[in-house]
Amino acid sequence: MMDDKEILDLYTSGQRERAFREIVESYSERLYWHVRRFLCSHEDTDDLLQEIFLKIWTALPSFRAESQLYTWIYRIATNETLNFLNKQKVRAALRFESLSDKLVDRIDEDPWFNGDQLQRNLMKAVQKLPEKQRLVFIMRWFEDLSYEDISEILGTSVGALKASYHFAAGKIKAELKKY
Amino acid sequence: MNSDKEILEKIGKGSYGVPDGYFNDLKTRLAAIPEEKTVNPGIWMRVKPYAALAACFAAILLAGNALLRNTASNQKPADQSYTEATYADMISITRPEIIYSAMEYEHEDISDEDIINYLIETGATMEQLAYAGE
Repeated sequence: MMDDKEILDLYTSGQRERAFREIVESYSERLYWHVRRFLCSHEDTDDLLQEIFLKIWTALPSFRAESQLYTWIYRIATNETLNFLNKQKVRAALRFESLSDKLVDRIDEDPWFNGDQLQRNLMKAVQKLPEKQRLVFIMRWFEDLSYEDISEILGTSVGALKASYHFAAGKIKAELKKY
Repeated sequence: MNSDKEILEKIGKGSYGVPDGYFNDLKTRLAAIPEEKTVNPGIWMRVKPYAALAACFAAILLAGNALLRNTASNQKPADQSYTEATYADMISITRPEIIYSAMEYEHEDISDEDIINYLIETGATMEQLAYAGE
C-alpha cells in the first residue's frame, strides 16, 4: 500500500487513474467505518461511499498540497456524510419524526451489528449526541485520530475539540448508566 | 473524567460487520469510477459545438411556436375573465399571481411524498423549515 506522498507523486506524474486506485486501496475500508458509524446502515454507507469517491475523483485536480491528502479525503467524506444526514433530518422532520430516534432504531434492526449489549448501548448513546460532539467522539475515540488532524478536517480549534470531547464522554457515561 | 475513561475502556470498538468479501467487491467498484466517468473525447468533442448550436435553434423555434399557439387559441371565455378580474380586485396588487396559481393547480395530484422529495432535492434546511412553520 502506498503512502500519501507516493500517491501524489503518481498523480502529478500524469498517472491519475493509478493514483486514484491507490487512494481506493488505502482509504476505502477506513472511510467505510468512518461513514458507517454515522449512518448506522450498511446499505446507506455503501451508496454514500460511491458518491464520496466520485467526489474525490472529480475534485482531485483542484487538490493543492496546502493540506495533507489524508485530511482532505476525510474532509470530503465527513462533509458528504453530514449533507446526507441533513437531508435525512429534513425528511424525518417533515414526517414529524426524529432522525436521532431513527438512527437508534437502525442499530437494533441492523443485521450486520455483531457487538455485545454494551457496544449496542454505546452506539445508541453516540447517536443521541449533538452533531459536533458526535463528530469529535467518533473520530477521536473510535478512529484514534489526533486532535490536530480532526481540527484540520473540521476547521475547528483543538481547544474547542477537546471541550466537545469532554462533554461528549460525560454524556455517554451518563447515558450508559441508564441501561 | 477517569471514570468516563474506565467505562469506555471496557467497551470494544468494532461492533459492526460486513458481508463476506465485501471490501474486495467495494474496491473493485470504486476503482472503476474513473473509467465510468471519463467521457470519450473523440467524436463527441468534435460534434459538441454544432449540437449546442442546433439545440439553441430548436429551443427558439419551439418556444416561438408554443407562444403563438397560446396567444391564438387560449382565449378565455368572457365569464371566466370576469371572475378572475373580480378576484384580482380583492387581492394584494403586489402578489396577483396567487389567485391564478391557486386556480391552475387545484386539480393537480401532489402527494405529501412529492412535496417532501421536492423540498429535499431543492436543499431545504432545518432552519428554513422552522421559519416556514412559524
